[in-house]
Amino acid sequence: MISLKRTIQVALLSAVSAIGVHAHAESPPGYDSWDQVLEEARGQTVYWYMWGGSDAINGFVDTFYGDPLKEEYGINLERVPLAGTVDAVNQVISEKEAGADGDAGSVDMIWINGENFKTMQQAGLLYGPWAESIPNSALVDWGNPAINLDFGKPVEGMESPWSSAQFHFMYDSARLSDSELPRSYAELGDWIAANPGQFSYVAPGPGNFIGTRFVKQLMFELSGNHEQWVGPFNQELYDQWSMATWKELISWEPNLWREGNTYPESNADFKSLFANGEVEFAFTQSPAGAGPDIGAGVIAPTSRAFSFDNYMIGDFNYLAIPYNAPNKAAALVTANLVLRPDRQAAQVQPANGFCCGWAIDVSRVTDADQIAAIETAMMNLGDAAADPARLSGALVADIAGEYQNLIEEDWQKYVLRGEPLPE
Amino acid sequence: MRRVPFYAAVIAISIAFLAPVISFMINAFAYRWFYPQLVPKEWSLQAWVRLKLIPRPGDRTLESFIDLWTGVPDVISALWLSLAIGTLVTGTSVIIGLPAARALGLYRFRGKKIVEFMIIAPTIVPPIAFSLGLNINFIRWDMALMNAGIPIDLAGSVFGVSLVHLVPVMPYVVLTLSGVFANYDADYEAQARSLGAPPWRIFWDVTLPAILPGLFVAALFAFLVSWSQYLLTFLIGQGRVVTLPALLFSAAGSGNNAMIAAISLVFIAPAILILLVTSRYLSGESSAAGGFGRV
Repeated sequence: MISLKRTIQVALLSAVSAIGVHAHAESPPGYDSWDQVLEEARGQTVYWYMWGGSDAINGFVDTFYGDPLKEEYGINLERVPLAGTVDAVNQVISEKEAGADGDAGSVDMIWINGENFKTMQQAGLLYGPWAESIPNSALVDWGNPAINLDFGKPVEGMESPWSSAQFHFMYDSARLSDSELPRSYAELGDWIAANPGQFSYVAPGPGNFIGTRFVKQLMFELSGNHEQWVGPFNQELYDQWSMATWKELISWEPNLWREGNTYPESNADFKSLFANGEVEFAFTQSPAGAGPDIGAGVIAPTSRAFSFDNYMIGDFNYLAIPYNAPNKAAALVTANLVLRPDRQAAQVQPANGFCCGWAIDVSRVTDADQIAAIETAMMNLGDAAADPARLSGALVADIAGEYQNLIEEDWQKYVLRGEPLPE
Repeated sequence: MRRVPFYAAVIAISIAFLAPVISFMINAFAYRWFYPQLVPKEWSLQAWVRLKLIPRPGDRTLESFIDLWTGVPDVISALWLSLAIGTLVTGTSVIIGLPAARALGLYRFRGKKIVEFMIIAPTIVPPIAFSLGLNINFIRWDMALMNAGIPIDLAGSVFGVSLVHLVPVMPYVVLTLSGVFANYDADYEAQARSLGAPPWRIFWDVTLPAILPGLFVAALFAFLVSWSQYLLTFLIGQGRVVTLPALLFSAAGSGNNAMIAAISLVFIAPAILILLVTSRYLSGESSAAGGFGRV
């Protein structure tokens, strides 16, 4: 029965994604042409709700998007700083509850991925599909499962990529040499045993996907094969490998920072432990490695980035437009501008302060000036970046969203609270 | 000798009050202040440069200062907005609170306890409990007003946010002022009236001077409560009403201590300034102590 159910599920999912691929229209819903979008957008103000914790990212958005939007498209950009993306989701939920449909909402665009996208998509809170009908979407490799799946959830044109990120590590080159670095979880386990009290990781939990990601990658390594994890959620597979994962993490505990009685509650806390020399490694998601944090003065200037040889999860983050956004045309133009090669080239350079990597497939760019901008950007990643070849060689995609909650709950149960593992 | 415990208490309280401020002062100018440095090795204005309050190093001319400030940095526009909302809320709350406090302070009537409870209730109920629902209602009313041809926005507007700030502010204002009226002798007003003074003259020359110190304290409470609102501002303002606490909360997740400290300094400076200016009204001799007549 179970396998029959699963087969139906898979069939349904592929049917849905097939519809998703063919359903996208030539123009975004509600518009006859891109020219009409541009025309309507002129004079509009786009309210862009995004996490506002980084002044460097805020500054990047205001300068690299705010200025051209105003000068080239006659659009005002109003960036709304959030303490967490979920605040914007709750706002749209409240609006739907109040019946503020059509264009009676207040949020035009949200920087989003994962859980928040899933919530909005399932609750019917998104406008679309539009992401494959903006002109610059031709530069996006929509065939890549890391792009067309967001934490395993089919994107189906309801959000458009902004940038990419890949999990890897930071160390301080003044304290450790390159040859001492672990290059796999197995080596990390040995390193922890040899260096008691000097390692920890961000506690997996809601809002701390980076900690969850660290645990997921260990699960991939233990299972010896990432391929089997791609695709819809598989309870049997999880049951098969999760216990080994908890055993491994529990075996580290006596040699962890504070003997594993407590774990850093956020990546910012973890980074501060690293900066103060309490732990020897930290996490980064930026192709520029330690560069952005060095620039902000939150870690030592001798910090560098490094990658394991395999199982480093990479993913994309996106822009979504709520179903009741008052300025949809301006939001569409903004999402299109974000994918323009010169803006993409600007966002990967650490000097400009943004965090993350490419959303476009740079090999699709044909314009000579744009290619030159991309090549310059590639050369300017800075010496605080991890070896790009090693990093891309270790790249794997994230897996279905269901694993996320399970891992977080079980980690808290077995590793943090120390409940006995079932036999 | 007998005053030693008194001075010890004064010093202890001063340290408790000043320590966080001093810590902010150091952090806001420290750069790469990591363990094991006891005091920062490097000092920097980078947090202030990032807040766009000070130009980049090497470009600190009067012109670039003027350029920067005429562009109105986010922190400054948030500061003005917080001040404007705080002032509006303070004025409104005192005007509404004065008659209520007078009735509660001077008179006994049936159901007084219930009225008192209703007025204190907002301090018991957490804001999240009512603000989500209030936001939904505000959005509904906005649409109803729009359909009726009255384009007034409650949700997402400074007006709506100020209105909602009154909820947590009113208990403090009424409580403080009712204490004032409990110690107030209304017979002075009767005397003035018998001498032929018109009502506005009685209020201006008799009532107001008598309650002024308490009024200051109530206004101070009102302002500070409004000044420190984050959740209400965020939910009702729909994120668009960016006050200082809104900036502070979104920066707090960054882990950049210098930035957080710098914004915190901008946030607490006006509050401390107001506290200093009004401190003489806060002394024990003022009639501000008490509440609902139980002095």
